[in-house]
Amino acid sequence: MKGYKIFGNVLRDLKLSPVLGNPGTTELPMLRDISNYVLTLHDGIAVGMADGIALWTRKPVLVNLHTDLGLGNAMAFLMTAARNHSPLIVTAGQQDQRHLAYEPLLSGNLTEMADNFAKYRTEVRKPDDIAYEIRKAYQIAEEPPRSPVFLSFPMDVMEAEGSYVYEDVARSTHNVMDEDDVIAVANAINDAKNPAVIFGSEIDEFDAFSEAMAFAEKLGCPVYSEPLGNRSSYPSDDPHYAGELYPAAALVDLDLMQYDLLLFIGSDLTLYPYTTDLILPGKRKIVIGLNNRRMIGETYRANPKIFLARILDLVHRKCNFRRSRDYMKLTDAVRDKKKMGQKYVSYRISKYFSDFTMVDEAISVSETLRHYFGYRPNGYFTARSGQIGWALPASLGIAMYNPKVVTVVGDGSLMYSIQALWTAKHYGIPLKLIVLENGGYNILRSYAMSYFPEISDAEYLRPEMDIESIVSSYGIDVRIADAELKELEWLRSGSDQKALIVKMDRSIPSMF
Amino acid sequence: MKILVVVPEFLPLDQIKAAVSTISSDLDVRNDTNFERSDAEILIVTTFTPVNAELLKKMPRLRFVQVASIGYDNVDLNAMKGNGIIVSNIPTASADSVAEHALSMVLSLLKDQRFLDSEIRSGRWPKITRSTDLMGKTFGIVGMGSIGRALASRLLPFKTAIIYYDIKRMSEAEEEEYGATYVDLNRLLSDADIVSVHVPLTETTRHLFNKSKFDLMKDGSIFINTSRGEVVVEKDLIEAIKKKGLRAGLDVFETEPPDPKSELLKLDNTILSPHIAGVTIESQMRFFKETIANVMRYMQGYEPNFRVA
Repeated sequence: MKGYKIFGNVLRDLKLSPVLGNPGTTELPMLRDISNYVLTLHDGIAVGMADGIALWTRKPVLVNLHTDLGLGNAMAFLMTAARNHSPLIVTAGQQDQRHLAYEPLLSGNLTEMADNFAKYRTEVRKPDDIAYEIRKAYQIAEEPPRSPVFLSFPMDVMEAEGSYVYEDVARSTHNVMDEDDVIAVANAINDAKNPAVIFGSEIDEFDAFSEAMAFAEKLGCPVYSEPLGNRSSYPSDDPHYAGELYPAAALVDLDLMQYDLLLFIGSDLTLYPYTTDLILPGKRKIVIGLNNRRMIGETYRANPKIFLARILDLVHRKCNFRRSRDYMKLTDAVRDKKKMGQKYVSYRISKYFSDFTMVDEAISVSETLRHYFGYRPNGYFTARSGQIGWALPASLGIAMYNPKVVTVVGDGSLMYSIQALWTAKHYGIPLKLIVLENGGYNILRSYAMSYFPEISDAEYLRPEMDIESIVSSYGIDVRIADAELKELEWLRSGSDQKALIVKMDRSIPSMF
Repeated sequence: MKILVVVPEFLPLDQIKAAVSTISSDLDVRNDTNFERSDAEILIVTTFTPVNAELLKKMPRLRFVQVASIGYDNVDLNAMKGNGIIVSNIPTASADSVAEHALSMVLSLLKDQRFLDSEIRSGRWPKITRSTDLMGKTFGIVGMGSIGRALASRLLPFKTAIIYYDIKRMSEAEEEEYGATYVDLNRLLSDADIVSVHVPLTETTRHLFNKSKFDLMKDGSIFINTSRGEVVVEKDLIEAIKKKGLRAGLDVFETEPPDPKSELLKLDNTILSPHIAGVTIESQMRFFKETIANVMRYMQGYEPNFRVA
């Protein structure tokens, strides 16, 4: 059997479909037996879409890039996939091995390039290894912390003869937990006077919402969500929810200073602006999860879902925290209406799309959007890396499986992966795109305002463009929102490709 | 069409007579209802004049009562309805004035102005203050009529959260206009930092604010009443002020004027005014204009505005 046939067989057997990519010469041999191929007009968009699918389905997704050039193009998206803990099987074609010594066009050291994002990377040397390497890659990608893996396939491997024998892979539920660890943590909680819980994206990743809520109810302690998580961590409308931590060490210290024990469950501490060298010095910190590698405290490796279920009967009630109702949301939104401010726009979007999944990359508005939209299972996704250009392709990936997706991006973000609109239109993928147009990179202007005010109005931070014309040139139905944002009703209806441009308040948001 | 105008004694009768003479030549202006019979078809009163079955006996031709006030609890609506008499109030003329008055009481209490003022007058210069911000507080409005709404619209720039209770919930669009979240009364009392009452006096609202209600309020929270004194059980309020540290701004009292020996007058954390929240130079002119306009409307055969019966 030819190598490309083996490649096709193993992908079908592992249900690795669709294949997302943008092919070049080196990939043509391996695509001959692939039937469900989704073309993107940039390698990064293929990875972004695959990332979205993986986040939604929680299963490995195969993406095909064009040798070192495509790999280079997609590098930012691959970094994001790694930080999002998305199990991508990234493949690329390599030049024919028979003349690799001469470093021909389209050849390169692909595995070395992949070293930054892939926890496993190799170049497949012969057809007999194709199926084995893909199965191995599948299982390694799936092993928490989930992350991309990389396989390079020289062109001649796909042409050579080899054998294919069907074998399955383990599809683990990741029920990792140690009984002694649970008892040790339970004892620590029971000995504490005033603990707090910080839940993170693993709660959604491992479908542990109900266990997290039962744990919070039992303890009665305040629950925070990790800063800059890439997906939901705890239901925002639960009375135990105390809010989202700010991604700055000094402010995290301030928020958590009153507690004697901090339980990081499925969470991480992603920081953005530098404030201080040490995080939570002198505090007892217990970290439980499968993804956390920072090990900022006593770190236990366990699936949060089964850990929380198991520890529930071992812990005593510690506090009686119930946060007061947030009546300010509506008042703030109404106050913000006149200037089409963040709070008003976020309020309206959240209201119209309350039953949708949100993919968010309106960076300078994200905190407000999360505040209004809230967290719920599979309800919110963003890039943990801070990348822009990710949300549009990622949302298309999700929309291939769940049409009720609303994508919120800034005008700056949109232009990083604008070609994704072609894929949406071409394949009829539902798109409900909201572009918050503020005429600049407002997160940068906000940072500049805090640290380097002399450049906060710099021309290079305020790129203006005709978003309406650009988007409509892809055949997307575009409207400009009026003051009441009534077009959100139009946007949410149907399953075709629509975009709504919201002309936002252009004032620079405060960094702190 | 004969018109009778009854104004309180404290208002200048001659000036009013001169002003309203333009409405009709057949018009009588007086300070009381101590007459044997009036053939007036229209009666204009303020809230200080009782309009009841007894008065109706003396006014057999009465068809329209115009109360030149928001409140109309001085009018026996059943007696009016029984005799087919139309009653209108003027719900808007003093709404802004009352809202401003309520807000001024809130700010005065929050900023501890009574204490600071008295300290300076006593020759002291305090360096520490208990002053707090209105911004960020949860402001509860009980009664979302014209005054409640006027107050809510003024609160928006103060960056407060606004919650309200009314027997009739506003539409979603109205709630969004005022930024006000609807909650039930008990929730409002327990969640608000400031409670301002703007309800009419009815059998339902009489003594609505009693011990059980004050018990729900946060310690140290602020209670403002510019509606009617009888909606509050005053002794329960006094107890709440003493025991829970409630602060109160009162424009109205169970008995007006209050007994000079009333404990209410001895408490520090209160600010009081003599049922005058709606009375400003500007509001009197608005009342006057709107009252005349509504009476003219009736006289010209149109349905009068603001009918309450």
